[in-house]
Amino acid sequence: MNLALLFPAIMCGVFCYLGAIESCCLLGMTGGYYIMGRPLVAGLLCGLVFGDVTAGVLCGVAVQAVFIANLSTGGATNSEITYASYGGIGLALATTRDPAIAVTLSVLIGQTLGLIFYNTRMAVYSFFNNGAQRAAENNDDRGITLWHIVYPQVCTFLIRAVPVFLIVFFGQGVVDALLNSVPEVVTHIISVLGGVLPALGIGMLMNIVIKDKMQLVFFLAGFVLLAFAGLSMVAIVFIAALVAYLVYLSSGRKVAEAAVGAAEGTQASASAVYEDDDLF
Amino acid sequence: MATETIQSTGGADEGRRLTNKDLNTIWLRWAFTHLASMSYEKLQGHAYAWSYIPFANKYYRDDPEAKRRLLVRHSVFFNTEPQTGQIINGIVTSLEENIALGGEVSEEMPNNIKATLMGPLAGIGDSIIQGIIVPTLLSIGMSLASGGSPLGPLFYIVAYGIIGPTISFISYRTGYKLGVGAIDVIVGENARRVMDAFNVLGIMVVGALAAGNIALTTTLNIPLGSEWQPLQTTLDGVFPALLPLIAVLLTWWMLGKKQFSPTKVIVVLTIAISALCLIGVF
Repeated sequence: MNLALLFPAIMCGVFCYLGAIESCCLLGMTGGYYIMGRPLVAGLLCGLVFGDVTAGVLCGVAVQAVFIANLSTGGATNSEITYASYGGIGLALATTRDPAIAVTLSVLIGQTLGLIFYNTRMAVYSFFNNGAQRAAENNDDRGITLWHIVYPQVCTFLIRAVPVFLIVFFGQGVVDALLNSVPEVVTHIISVLGGVLPALGIGMLMNIVIKDKMQLVFFLAGFVLLAFAGLSMVAIVFIAALVAYLVYLSSGRKVAEAAVGAAEGTQASASAVYEDDDLF
Repeated sequence: MATETIQSTGGADEGRRLTNKDLNTIWLRWAFTHLASMSYEKLQGHAYAWSYIPFANKYYRDDPEAKRRLLVRHSVFFNTEPQTGQIINGIVTSLEENIALGGEVSEEMPNNIKATLMGPLAGIGDSIIQGIIVPTLLSIGMSLASGGSPLGPLFYIVAYGIIGPTISFISYRTGYKLGVGAIDVIVGENARRVMDAFNVLGIMVVGALAAGNIALTTTLNIPLGSEWQPLQTTLDGVFPALLPLIAVLLTWWMLGKKQFSPTKVIVVLTIAISALCLIGVF
């Protein structure tokens, strides 16, 4: 046990609460999930409490690459990004400070422990909802505050901060085991899996944005602009904006044409009838 | 129709309308606590009841039954993208104000609006914020952070720290100002065109994200002429990032066509990757 780890481990736990999707301290999801919860930011914060900003940021960048397309839609998520960020990066900084170890730990923690805690909490918090419902029916302002905010937030703090503190403070053994006794093929599988995991978040995004199969052509266009042409994301956003504007202009024409077409259509069919009359 | 009734009640009750401070209170209460008691059953539901407590105490001090009805009707399931979704909160504020001032809006109206708009706004909000803004800012931040420079994370914190709250505030005020008129702005013909266009922007950025962030290379060798060559070199020559493309299309197919939950997809991916690693493909 290393008492020098006490302060950084506690802070990692507190950060894991602040960056949680359900945390209400930093303008909800805006400052929590979308800022504190990102591994890039977690790397900086963990680096600060461990007194090694450079190593922290390097770990943060490596882990962020795996979780770039992390998202939450309708309460379902592809990986628990906050446990992954602060558990994985925190434990890596407490031990080897190696970005590759940070990625392996984050994937392990995010996909197993993180998702189990997340899904359990999402099911169990119905209990708090029932309390808030009763309070609303009883016209009880204080009850709503307690059941909607105080109880669930205290509970969230405990199930986020305590496990992450334990992971960072007592996790040395896990890392040693990973480095020494776990067969190389397992660490290899985890690292390949880390490379493929962004596909899940991106697949979820595709599910939202692609409304019919023909639109896959826009997806492939964006794909080849990066894979073949090697453009940066910022450049691609501008090209995509141009394409989107063209789509906007042409959809306006389609609407106008549809209106004109409908009018012409009735005329055309009228004249067709007339011609038919002529023929016979 | 209902927009006019809101304006018509405005004259007599001018002094009792919501002040700027009241509006900011509702905006902030909802912004801070939308997911505070998040569960699969209610998601953001109870945040409405809590956000409208000061509102209820302003208008229904002498009418506990009306206050009770307000709190109960705002304790139902609700879920949307919480930043762009502030438009809905704004519309609900304007409707509730009309109800409280004795206008013609019915007490079912706020929940009808919430149920109608939460789906479309979640779709467009998620694709703009989680699909375009966050990954793009993160990509910039990650490139600024090369070599371990704190500049990258700081850039992201400042950039999203400005953009996120701005979207949230503007959405809320727009929703309140337009009232039910906002529905035309959100689901009207021109809005549909703008959203379709944004969607195309989103699809292209997601395509680029897929190409840039999924890492999958094979370790297989293939016979090429007289010697064995790494298959990956050949693939890179024909179609760079072909394996990541196949991976993402399969994942999309599992999620969309087969309706797998994300957790189920993780299990499938883990098993498939483990098996392929063991037989030496990756």
